[in-house]
Amino acid sequence: MENASHLSVILDLSPSQWYQSSQTSGDKHPLSLAHFLPQLFVFLNAHLASQHENTLTVFGAFPGKSSMLYSSNETYIQADADSNTFQPFKTMNSVIAQRLNEELESLPEDAEAPIALVGALTKSLCTINRRSHPSDTLNATSPNPSKLPTPRLLVISVSPDLSASYIPIMNSIFCAQKLKLSIDVCKIFGPDNVFLQQAAHLTGGSYISIDRRDSILQYLMTTFLSPPAVRRLMAVPTEDRIDLRAACFCHKQIVDIGFICSICLSIFCKPTPVCSTCRVKFPIKTLQRLKEAVNPVLPPNIPAPKLPAEAPPATPRVMPPFSMPHPGFMPAGLFTPKKMSKIPKPAPRVPPGMK
Amino acid sequence: MSKKQENPTTHALIDFLHSQTPTTLQRLYTRPSACLAIIRLLSPLERQLVMSLLWLEGPVETQSITNWITLEGRSAYEHALKSLAKLQILPNSKEQILLQASFKSGLRNGLTGSGQVASFGALVEPDNDMGTLPTEMLDNYAVERWDTILHFMVTSGTEQASARPSEGVLYLLEHSGLMSNEHGRRIITSAGFQFLLQSPHAQLWEFILSYLRMMAEREDMDMVDILGFFFMLSMTQPGQHYSTHTLSPTQLIMVSDLRDFGLVYFPSDTTTSFQPTRFATTLTSYTSSFSDHDLTIENGADLSQEFVVLETNYHVYAYTNNPLQIAVLNLFVSFKARFPNMIMGSLTRDSVKKALVNGITADQILSYLVTHAHPQMRKNNPIIPVTVQDQIRLWELERHRVKGQDGYLYKEFASMNDYEVVVQYARELGVVLWENASRRMFFADAAGRVHIRSYIERRTAL
Repeated sequence: MENASHLSVILDLSPSQWYQSSQTSGDKHPLSLAHFLPQLFVFLNAHLASQHENTLTVFGAFPGKSSMLYSSNETYIQADADSNTFQPFKTMNSVIAQRLNEELESLPEDAEAPIALVGALTKSLCTINRRSHPSDTLNATSPNPSKLPTPRLLVISVSPDLSASYIPIMNSIFCAQKLKLSIDVCKIFGPDNVFLQQAAHLTGGSYISIDRRDSILQYLMTTFLSPPAVRRLMAVPTEDRIDLRAACFCHKQIVDIGFICSICLSIFCKPTPVCSTCRVKFPIKTLQRLKEAVNPVLPPNIPAPKLPAEAPPATPRVMPPFSMPHPGFMPAGLFTPKKMSKIPKPAPRVPPGMK
Repeated sequence: MSKKQENPTTHALIDFLHSQTPTTLQRLYTRPSACLAIIRLLSPLERQLVMSLLWLEGPVETQSITNWITLEGRSAYEHALKSLAKLQILPNSKEQILLQASFKSGLRNGLTGSGQVASFGALVEPDNDMGTLPTEMLDNYAVERWDTILHFMVTSGTEQASARPSEGVLYLLEHSGLMSNEHGRRIITSAGFQFLLQSPHAQLWEFILSYLRMMAEREDMDMVDILGFFFMLSMTQPGQHYSTHTLSPTQLIMVSDLRDFGLVYFPSDTTTSFQPTRFATTLTSYTSSFSDHDLTIENGADLSQEFVVLETNYHVYAYTNNPLQIAVLNLFVSFKARFPNMIMGSLTRDSVKKALVNGITADQILSYLVTHAHPQMRKNNPIIPVTVQDQIRLWELERHRVKGQDGYLYKEFASMNDYEVVVQYARELGVVLWENASRRMFFADAAGRVHIRSYIERRTAL
């Protein structure tokens, strides 16, 4: 007896990004939304076809707003009869297409607002949460919890990272971990998405950046169709290089090295005297030392660290060696490097007692 | 159910499809509805294999697929390839792997909604207001039909009279070995008792499989037509009206047969449309047809499937007034008192032995009690108290203390030498079950009788 699965799809619908994706210049395989949707529908049909009890919700992330495009829980007007088509497929596809059109029509003409990916993400997490706790709702006849469908989330992304949404995305990831659901990410267009990469990595999903966008359907069917139980038997591709950088809370920029408040774990790009989140005051001494560390006076026996070529153009901050003698108390502004691999490790210094 | 227990990943119908000829299967796969239904019956790994290969045009090296299989999935993968090859979906997967062409196009059409085969049934507007049932009424109709069959089975051989199902159903019950006909009286067989304790969904499938086997014996029926119709039914929507004009003569016969099982509904033989019930539309679902929906039967009682409370002192409290459920419980519970909404009894040695004599096994009793356990019982772990579980199994073992074997006793040998020679010969045949040299007697299996006899005759002739 296998469990049914629930698939929640979040569709990134940024008009400008999709327009760029459909342009031929600089890309061998342009893909427009109009070409992508039929392939997505086939994928969604295949999900519903896999099992009678499989359920589906589709959320659209539009500029500035997010909305639900389809949910198997709701009843829609049945599509017209056609003896060549399985009726639920036709109903689902036409509902999504219609809702999508309505939403895109109603978008304001002027400047595009940032994409509401977080809104869509949290909404779908909420619906999944409600599905996994049916006994809490009004419906008193709760089915056996082992019979509930196992949830899964798929984000189809075309937009670049919004560094302002770091904290809400991280919170969504924690929420997903708690709900024991995996977040898959299908990156169709644009540069790699750091936060979504982390989301897939931390929840055990798979992040795939599509190289050949003309065969998007094959990607969807091989990688994103299988429920977790099947993935144990038949592996799906995952990224082995994951960018685990975080964004600072003060300027919302992705940083290589951050400074973390030891009380509330807020991340800052510069040492600050007072944590803006929990209002704790850091000792002056620590601050001074940290500021020195930002512009270090290197001891002679340590070679100046070479930064990798792909490091961002922002002035790199170098961490002081770990073996720096510890002060008597835990410094409030002790930082952790977020991406260790990018920083060459200083030559290990053996403490005198060990020789 | 028995097949499911042997191999939990294979659906009973898949086994039936394995026995079909390749041409039958290939003709079946031209129907998108059949492809979609079969996909649901496959195991998850088989399904994923098919889906991964579906949109590839050319063949793929088998090695490149095998690379994706994890260590844990090896045996399941081997099994999946074998099963798919038997179904003619993935023939010859030794070096290169390619979906069978008609299955590929059939499933593609099913998922995209293209093609011209019209295999999902023709929807029509209802002819008139008369004779159309809303979905809830259809559910009631289906449950009532099914209960009639089960109730007839459970009360057969007793003095109680119950409504008789139609002749077609009675014939099928006999043909499938669930009931036997003794001097015009139909008596439930031990297979029938086992059938009663299965989940409704498993019962439905067993019934349909016997129906398919019965139809397969008839020469004038085309298996593709029959299977295709079942798959079409499983892909229809409950409560909609489907036209009978597009059906073949075979399928028209099936529609009227299936009405007796509660799978479809039509008011009279003259109507040109039928409505599938939820029984039909949940055929390819893995779970029970009832569990998701709050079906209520006509007297308003809840047809809840979870109603039995079993205590460590063997007392059984069943919160039901459904005659069928009471009758089934009565197979292995001795009832003491009956109240408007519940019935009280206990499991005794005699009552369980009565069930065992009827051919029901201890495992079946326990699995029935587990599936129908009251929500309050589900808080316990294990659901059934260990003492009761063990005792039911011990009662079953009691019946196996003596094992009977047919054979012949050879005695009154004239001399010890005669005895030695004959018993030595019988030992070489491996048929000796018991021997006693001092009394010059031995007991041998019935299979060895002819040989031993002729050996003795040859010796005396010398």
